Amino acid sequence: VTESVFSFDGESVPARPGDTVASALYRSGTRIFSRSFKYHRPRGLLCLAGNCPNCLVNVDGVPNVRACTTPAREGMKVVHQNASPSLECDVLSAAKWVGWLMPVGFYYKTFTRPFAWKGVEPLIRRAAGLGVLPESPEVARAHDLYEHVHLKADVAVIGAGPAGMTAAAEASKAGARVVLVEEGPELGGHLRYERTGAAELPRLRDALPAAAVEVLADATCFGLYEGGLLGIVQRRRTPGAGGVRERLIHLRARTVVAATGAYETPLLFENNDLPGVMLSTAVQRLIRVHGIKPGESAAVVSARADGGPVAEDLREAGVRIAAVVPPDRVVAALGRRHVRGLRTADGRVACELVVVCGIRVPEASLIAQAGGRLEWNDEASAFLPSELPPGIFAAGRVTGVEDLRTSLSHAALAGQMAAQAASGGAPDGGLRSPAPSPAPGPSTLLGTPSGKSFVCLCEDVTARDLRHAVAEGFDQIETVKRYTTVSMGPCQGKMCQLGSIGICARETGRTIAQTGRTTSRPPTRPVSLGALGGARRHPVKRTPMHSRHEEMGCVWMDMGEWKRPLYYFKPGSAKSKKECVEEEYEAVRERAGIIDLSTLGKLDVQGKDAPRLLDRVYANRLSDLRPGRTRYGVILDEAGIILDDGTVSRLSEDRYFVTTTTGNLEFVQQWLEWWAAGTGWCVHVTNVTGAYAAVNVAGPRARDLLRKLTSIDLGTKAFPYMACAQGEVAGVPSFLMRIGFVGETGWEIHAPAEYGESLWDALLEAGREFDARAFGVEAQRLLRLEKKHVIVNVDTDATSNLFAADMAWLTKADKEDFIGKAAIERDRPRALREKLVGFVMQDDLVPDDGASLVAADGRPAGRVTSARFSPARGRAVGMAWVPAELAADGREIRVHVRGSFGRARIVQEPFYDPEGKRLKS
Amino acid sequence: LPGESGGVEDVSFLVRCPNCGDRSVYEFRFGGEIKLRPSPGAPDAEWLRYSYAQKNEAGVQKEWWFHRLGCRQWFQAVRDTRTNEVAETRLPGNAP
Repeated sequence: VTESVFSFDGESVPARPGDTVASALYRSGTRIFSRSFKYHRPRGLLCLAGNCPNCLVNVDGVPNVRACTTPAREGMKVVHQNASPSLECDVLSAAKWVGWLMPVGFYYKTFTRPFAWKGVEPLIRRAAGLGVLPESPEVARAHDLYEHVHLKADVAVIGAGPAGMTAAAEASKAGARVVLVEEGPELGGHLRYERTGAAELPRLRDALPAAAVEVLADATCFGLYEGGLLGIVQRRRTPGAGGVRERLIHLRARTVVAATGAYETPLLFENNDLPGVMLSTAVQRLIRVHGIKPGESAAVVSARADGGPVAEDLREAGVRIAAVVPPDRVVAALGRRHVRGLRTADGRVACELVVVCGIRVPEASLIAQAGGRLEWNDEASAFLPSELPPGIFAAGRVTGVEDLRTSLSHAALAGQMAAQAASGGAPDGGLRSPAPSPAPGPSTLLGTPSGKSFVCLCEDVTARDLRHAVAEGFDQIETVKRYTTVSMGPCQGKMCQLGSIGICARETGRTIAQTGRTTSRPPTRPVSLGALGGARRHPVKRTPMHSRHEEMGCVWMDMGEWKRPLYYFKPGSAKSKKECVEEEYEAVRERAGIIDLSTLGKLDVQGKDAPRLLDRVYANRLSDLRPGRTRYGVILDEAGIILDDGTVSRLSEDRYFVTTTTGNLEFVQQWLEWWAAGTGWCVHVTNVTGAYAAVNVAGPRARDLLRKLTSIDLGTKAFPYMACAQGEVAGVPSFLMRIGFVGETGWEIHAPAEYGESLWDALLEAGREFDARAFGVEAQRLLRLEKKHVIVNVDTDATSNLFAADMAWLTKADKEDFIGKAAIERDRPRALREKLVGFVMQDDLVPDDGASLVAADGRPAGRVTSARFSPARGRAVGMAWVPAELAADGREIRVHVRGSFGRARIVQEPFYDPEGKRLKS
Repeated sequence: LPGESGGVEDVSFLVRCPNCGDRSVYEFRFGGEIKLRPSPGAPDAEWLRYSYAQKNEAGVQKEWWFHRLGCRQWFQAVRDTRTNEVAETRLPGNAP
């Protein structure tokens, strides 16, 4: 009953309904699934439960996918990892011959001398490790493969085994909205693959009220964070809309029932990592879930003389039991690429499989992450939750209980109490865990491992490595971990934690309880980076005139979330960027230019205390600004650092119109509102950025141009520099400010966004007779640089104060309290360390923004913040931070320009129209 | 607050906005400890303390929060910095 076909290393593999990649591969005869991290040893299926690193493969370009938890899907491309040329024949397995070069902690001590780490490192890097990152087109596509979802629940139950199903059913009966999270494709947990209690499954499944319990299958909970936030990755059997393969679910739950069960960890003996050595639960899954006969003959390693239930399963599946061997009699698995037999203290057993009944470990890592305490319990031979944090409940095998009946009645109570606690009804923590079931201690199961007994399969750490580490003095479990990297691999200690603790305890003569365990941190299970990153979708903001720019043809630039024309450029035109920008520049200086400024932050500040608030927040005084006037304003922090600048226009007694730089709007708004909230003053700050389109019309013919469109008197007397007025422009209700960032006669016009296009069209049309041009950000930056107008956060940074930036003229000493005043008063008498100055190059070089400066004696002397070729000066001009002693007018400094040095002269005045005659005319 | 970047990292607790109720902390901007601003003529030492020194209380402290992705209101909270338990929140005008 083949349902789908996928490929593995190019070969077709049929899959049946319910198959995972691993089960389908096993059925079709694959036995080696991967090669190990360091020695390139062959590795086969071990746990079949997503716990071990043995079946990591690359699926459709995504590395390190666990084959045993990934549903088989039609057409998927599965490729092996970390082996070359193939899994069967891996030349890198020669690493075993140089293994002596790489003892535990080798990267701390080998390859120093006589070996040079530099020479060896690339080789080791190539040989070691897991999957390979996909190529960039694949990474780019990843945004379509993952998504993030936010869910919320009263009670989240993690694990849909018998305890989880019962807790979920009871919680929902008590009226809670329940989400049940199951890593496997179906409900049932261990009842799906264990004989004991399997008959209970239908009853438990039917008891779940489908309407009230939301089941998330194929979903792995990898972290439990504060506030009841659960991180869950859900895999999709068939790609969802837009090809989504995995989604990251942020589940916010009031209370959590951890019914995470227990998992089996392997025993230690020589070659315990050989393909064919499998955990009993893995064999049970193969037989009972997937209907696969795992082999012809098996040796069962079990403390029980009859081999336990797995022996029954094997017999039923037609597998010959070659022997049942007690753990302490096992010596080594035999075979090179796959098990051929088992050497015991009593002799040799020929067999195809070694089925290991390992140690059962309660999966309590989520509880530990949430702040629960785990304590070693001698009776149960396990770390069990001894104290649960508020709102967290445990049920089922994670509490150490084996008996199903006891477990279910406890789980029912846990579900009810979780529901009550979620509704705020019952106190937490009133539920006592049942007595744990006894289990054999690990010491009997650890045996006396020798040779290549692998404790940590992820990182190829052997029992001998751990003993060496302890002998070298790393005798605490946390230092052993860091020195040997045991438990630091993809399995996060699931396969090796108990083994490493056991060895550490034995080598140091301590008990396991004294030795303790390493800290549990999220993620408890491997999570793909793509899922964590999710679909990165950034909002894009477009100005009201966006489509006009597009029609005219322009090169776009990103400014925060906004798109702005950098310069206008007809596609297919032969002009260079430089030519385009110079044409735009020339239009503004000689005729008229029009620029879209809609991205400016715009705030409407109203209220009887608006003048007070602005006086407090801005360094300059704004309460005495007359209605109809505009002032340039600067915002400082309490340390006197420049935070933002912009214009403030007074519309009436209690109303101001404030502009901010494009990127700082959010900050300035919050800043104003914070001061308003803290003082209790009567002010409302409204963000009207999106409500208004804004343009600047500038140039010697700007007045003539605008006169065609408005009846407002634009004469120098009626509308002087730094005045503002409301009126109609081209029939559009507008607000006009006479300001001059680019250094020419000009008006900044704000109009309702709906009219943005029509205003733009009207201005261009009216400008046609003057050969007016639209200009972009690049020309604007050049124009303002010639005027030495500072751009905050470009020419200043987080250490720039008013004096250093040469802007002390803005504030008067007699102005009463404002933010930063204390700092300014403190700094005023002090000598400056650095100053922002202008410079003109003395040769033909044009420095880059950020270029470094060098003093005459060769010492570093600051940095360039902005530099451009200035048509007005015929040379490059710029602004730079220099040590105060070099900041004198006429001083010469050297500028680093792409590998050579240029000469520059410091110039105090603006490079263009220093008296501002053009600006004010 | 002053000048801090907006985000909140590495935590996932809930904050009760006085307007919007329990919301994920990611919706908010943390505004820092509530401090009393010195008077204009206060000595430098007092201003330096106000500008740069934080109490970093290991325990209950009063803080500013801003509901960035919600009602966009500044409010004050009483939070235990050890447990992130937010005991009380209120709009600034409603001091008890």
